[in-house]
Amino acid sequence: METGPESRMNNESEVATADATQKHAAAADGTSTPVLEARSLSKRYGELEAVAGLDLRVDPTEIYCLLGPNGAGKTTTIHLFLGFLEPTSGSVHVMGMDVADEPLKSKNHLAYIPEQVMLYRNLSGLENLAYFSALGGKESLSTERLSEILVEAGLQPEAVHSRVSEYSKGMRQKVGNAIAIAKEADALLLDEPTSGLDPQASNEFSELLERLKERGVAVLMATHDLFRAKESGSRIGIMRYGRLVAEMTTDEIGHADLERIYLDHMHE
Amino acid sequence: MIRHIVRKEFMDVVRDGRFRWCAALIGALLLVSLGTGWVQARNAQKELAAAQATARDHWESQGEKNPHSAAHYGVYAFKPRLALSFVDEGVDSYAGTSVFLEAHRQNDFLLRPAQDATPAQRFGALTAAQVLQHLVPLLIILLTFGALAGERERGTLRQLLATGVGRLELALGKALGVAAALALLLVPAALVGAAAIVIGSPGPATSPIVRGAVLTGVYLVYFATFIGLSLAVSARAPSARTALVILLAIWVVNGLVAPRVAVDLSKWLYPTPSAVEFTQTLGSEMASGVDGIERPDRAASTQELLDQYNLEKVEDLPINAIGVFLQKSEEFGNQIYDRNYGSLWSTFERQGYVHEALAVTAPLLAVRTLSMGLAGTDVEQHRHFAAAAEDYRRVLVERLNRELTENSRTGEVYLAAADLWSQMPPFQYDAPTMAWVLQNRALSLLVLGLWLAGAFVAVVAAVRRAEVA
Repeated sequence: METGPESRMNNESEVATADATQKHAAAADGTSTPVLEARSLSKRYGELEAVAGLDLRVDPTEIYCLLGPNGAGKTTTIHLFLGFLEPTSGSVHVMGMDVADEPLKSKNHLAYIPEQVMLYRNLSGLENLAYFSALGGKESLSTERLSEILVEAGLQPEAVHSRVSEYSKGMRQKVGNAIAIAKEADALLLDEPTSGLDPQASNEFSELLERLKERGVAVLMATHDLFRAKESGSRIGIMRYGRLVAEMTTDEIGHADLERIYLDHMHE
Repeated sequence: MIRHIVRKEFMDVVRDGRFRWCAALIGALLLVSLGTGWVQARNAQKELAAAQATARDHWESQGEKNPHSAAHYGVYAFKPRLALSFVDEGVDSYAGTSVFLEAHRQNDFLLRPAQDATPAQRFGALTAAQVLQHLVPLLIILLTFGALAGERERGTLRQLLATGVGRLELALGKALGVAAALALLLVPAALVGAAAIVIGSPGPATSPIVRGAVLTGVYLVYFATFIGLSLAVSARAPSARTALVILLAIWVVNGLVAPRVAVDLSKWLYPTPSAVEFTQTLGSEMASGVDGIERPDRAASTQELLDQYNLEKVEDLPINAIGVFLQKSEEFGNQIYDRNYGSLWSTFERQGYVHEALAVTAPLLAVRTLSMGLAGTDVEQHRHFAAAAEDYRRVLVERLNRELTENSRTGEVYLAAADLWSQMPPFQYDAPTMAWVLQNRALSLLVLGLWLAGAFVAVVAAVRRAEVA
């Protein structure tokens, strides 16, 4: 019988894929609870309406890409799902829980990767991952398993024990990805995750998203990267002035169509 | 979950070179001030014991002498250095540690180290209490100003809160992490202090270990208050730099402004006479009496005795009329002293209340009062000793006057036997108990408790309302 780490990862992957298939089937027939849902969600800052009447639903195995210019409300939407902001009206739900009612419980189902993954410079990548994982409820993960996750996220094995003060932006982003993987959350919230990454790192990130999707994770990604949205996304929403002005599945359109649609909405 | 936050904060802090340097510096200052304080207190106690023995020896070796001459020869009372005086020397340097006891006069205290100190010595005389009251809070500020504001600036706060950790859990973990780092500095100092008490207390005290434990508790509450305040400011300040500026302003008000204001305000509300004014008033009242306290008249005193014994000539009196008159003069002087010193001590007491009440503006005032109280070096315990010494002086002089009165007749030359002096019991002083100290300092205890509760409420409110990004 195989008992090594590779075998364990393969077994876990098989179980996760089977689970994801079930979730996907339930989502397809509309009987499942959406992992992420915004209902008539609005957020105002004085006169400024950052999010205006947003209705959004992200199901298991779905990668929903929010496109839009700066100030369109993408990051605000993610912060509302994280409970960092309180909605002015409407509500946000994670696994059916109203975030306003269950701010901590709802976060147990979420993982978050910001545009700039910031870590503790005096700790190593492994120590950072152990810390964030423990806070996320994964206290029992062994050092070996955490190291495996870092490597799975693309970090070079020799960098695992180095202090983060020696890391590049790309390496920090990989630790951020590892934090998301380790949490085994139902939903992943991504805020411009490939901003500033080189093409290879962006590509590795897309592969990671694909693996997470196979495990049944629902992904909500705010991005400016139209190419990555078309490549990785299942559905795309275009936001402008806090409103969702267009929504489509990536199967319906090509790269050129997406760019044209996006620009059309930006010039309206 | 909290233990992970504590561990991470601890690791983060101790790996920070700035902390290591600051902690090493403050730790060294603390240990050196404890050590030198202990050596100085022990030496002072030895010197006082030697001086006390010498003074007693001189008293007992007077030979045959008139008792009233012996009363003027006088004795010295030495204030013992209490067990914890090496931590906080309080007012001892300024108030003095010995007093000359003689007939007719209630003298000022002698042996005031501050009088003999050069300006450079005064500047360099850093006590452990000063390190604990001023420098440790500064270190706490340096460790905590960025605890939440810095996390927010760096962007790690969003990631932390996204994990599902509660804000209060995070704040508590950070507080305990900072406390754990501080323990690296404070635990060795506490052990050195405890060892100093156990190995050889500089002086007597009731249950010095318990006093030490209570003193430690007082300082821990003070530090916890500062940690809470610092976290509250860090949670609400728009940036780590702003948090640092605010906290340094609090530190300056707490350590420099409030003590100065407390001194000036208490003196303004309850003014005390200058030493010259006080001496002049005493001299004037002693000369002519005041408010129903009349200076005794020698002729009237003698006539009173003659009437009492139904005699006409003073030589026929079975007792010495001069001895009786001397005691009456003594009692007159005692009333004048009680009136003036009583008023002075009452004013000091009111000034002390102002200090204690003003601690609501700065926790240092409460801690300083409690620290001096537990170390046995505050004004109240100086007063306690002064009152005990004065009581002894009055008993001694009364006995010597009685000796003269009962063993001689008026006009006789009387010399008491040489063994009389050793029959006079030496001055024995029992310092106040810890319960007495704490009872006297209940207001400071209450205010310090309020500061801790206030800091707790502030940190809870601030952390709940803190901006994440």
